Amino acid sequence: MVRMGPMTETPVLAVENLQVSYGPINALRGCTLEVRAGETVAVVGANGAGKTTLLRAICNMLPWSGAIRLDGVPTDRSPTHKLARQGVIHLPENRGILTTQTVLENLQLAFDTYPSKRSFGAAVEEAFAHFPRLKERQAQPAGNLSGGEQQMLALARAIISTPKILLLDEPSLGLSPRMVREAYRILRGFKARGMAILLVEQNVHAALRFANRGYVLRQGAIVRQGEADVLAHDTELFNQYLGFT
Amino acid sequence: MLVEQIVNGVVLGSMYALIAQGYTLVFGVLDKLNFAHGEVFMLGGFICLASIALGASLPIAILVTAIVSGLLGLLVEFVGFRKFRSADAHITAALSSFAIGLVIIDLSQKVWGAEPVALTLPGTLQTATISIAGLKMVVLRLAILAISLLLMLVLYLVVVKTSLGRRIRAVAESPTKAALFGINVTRVNQQVFFIASAMAALAGLALAVRTGYASTDVGFTFGLKALAIMAIGGMGDIRGALIGGLLIGVLEALAFQWGLGQLADVFVWLFMIAILLVRPAGLFGTLVSKEVRA
Ligand SMILES: Nc1ncnc2c1ncn2[C@@H]1O[C@H](COP(=O)(O)OP(=O)(O)OP(=O)(O)O)[C@@H](O)[C@H]1O
Ligand SMILES: [Mg+2]
Repeated sequence: MVRMGPMTETPVLAVENLQVSYGPINALRGCTLEVRAGETVAVVGANGAGKTTLLRAICNMLPWSGAIRLDGVPTDRSPTHKLARQGVIHLPENRGILTTQTVLENLQLAFDTYPSKRSFGAAVEEAFAHFPRLKERQAQPAGNLSGGEQQMLALARAIISTPKILLLDEPSLGLSPRMVREAYRILRGFKARGMAILLVEQNVHAALRFANRGYVLRQGAIVRQGEADVLAHDTELFNQYLGFT
Repeated sequence: MLVEQIVNGVVLGSMYALIAQGYTLVFGVLDKLNFAHGEVFMLGGFICLASIALGASLPIAILVTAIVSGLLGLLVEFVGFRKFRSADAHITAALSSFAIGLVIIDLSQKVWGAEPVALTLPGTLQTATISIAGLKMVVLRLAILAISLLLMLVLYLVVVKTSLGRRIRAVAESPTKAALFGINVTRVNQQVFFIASAMAALAGLALAVRTGYASTDVGFTFGLKALAIMAIGGMGDIRGALIGGLLIGVLEALAFQWGLGQLADVFVWLFMIAILLVRPAGLFGTLVSKEVRA
């Protein structure tokens, strides 16, 4: 299903002319993109294209210029924790789980910080229904989990936080092909429930198969955008911008 | 009497532990040492003294000391640490907190003079004794021990079991990850400074009430010893600070028992070096960074 929506619809996330520099290095040079309600958007690009920088800027984890709007309201450089409480849930490259705390404590922290009408028990049961493996290991420190299990915990945390928009940084990084398929199977579940997702990936094929729309980022600038299935079949794009086929 | 000395050592050790837990809590979340901490401990005795001079009862004086010192902790966090959070700001934060400590001493001496000031409580609270199994003990010392242990038990339960404790541990692991969990890192730092400072000040109050006077020079000696205790217990570990504190208290008491009182401090520092040579991360600590700089 591809949601096109009327053009007047306010996007959940709108990024306009976003610029970030690390000293003399311009990591983002005027990026404009949007994610509409219920939409999954992939940003693909080679190493160093600026994908991680983009997500970190959206969460105000580094200085940026331009405009970022949530549901049409400028974020005005709201601190990271406030954005998280507003439902901007960012699963970073290192998965962002707390390795010194148990699986259950991670989920409890995710629950503590977001206002919700459900009880913790109900929320955690729902998460465990998706991830039975985590239920078995709930009393273990998260640092003892395997890489795949840690990714599951990160995704379980995302479910409990009921995101307005989920920002995912390379969810397939460091996972076996089987675990990559499993992670995307779960993300398809999130998509089916209408969660807005912004995904950045080097794994172009997996990302474009999953997303509704895509953007191609190259040296800090968006060089292509369009429907994901169109981009996925654009061989010229792959040769020219992503440096591989 | 040996047993009596050991009990005294445990009482002294519990005060060391209260101070050391404050150091270790702050170190846990900020990865930095708060060199104003010893002076906040020292000031606790004077805040109690001032409250009682103004007519407060002891329980009220205890409450006032905890709250005023907690607020002082917020000031220390704001002035000495808020701007110096980055990993390379260790020296800056150490210097600025050390400076705050010096200011606290100087101001205290302006107000109360450099000589110790007597702190006598009405009634027999400071002198009453009790006989337990043939041992005559000062009730006040036992009360101090009981209250210190209770405070530390509460702190432990808060850190391990509560939502605040999970937030504190999250910031200790990684402020970046904590913020992505929606945790207000600045708020957690403030909470930790409040708790640490209130606990240190209560130890200062206990010392003043027990010895019968408040003195502006205890911050340095006790503060330095509590630093050693934190290292012995394992940096950032509150159980380690408790065990380390009790060990050092008893060690000092034994030194006096054996007529080596003059050498008590030497024992403490040699003991610390010995422990760290055997276990570089302290009794309960784990060294995170494995990189060796040589
Ligand atoms: N902290 C930093 N200091 C200086 N330069 C940085 C920093 N972080 C990233 N960069 C630079 O900014 C550019 C974009 O980096 P970024 O991490 O956003 O890329 P990426 O697309 O996520 O790459 P990858 O696919 O390897 O994760 C790169 O040139 C990188 O070297
Ligand atoms: Mg990246």
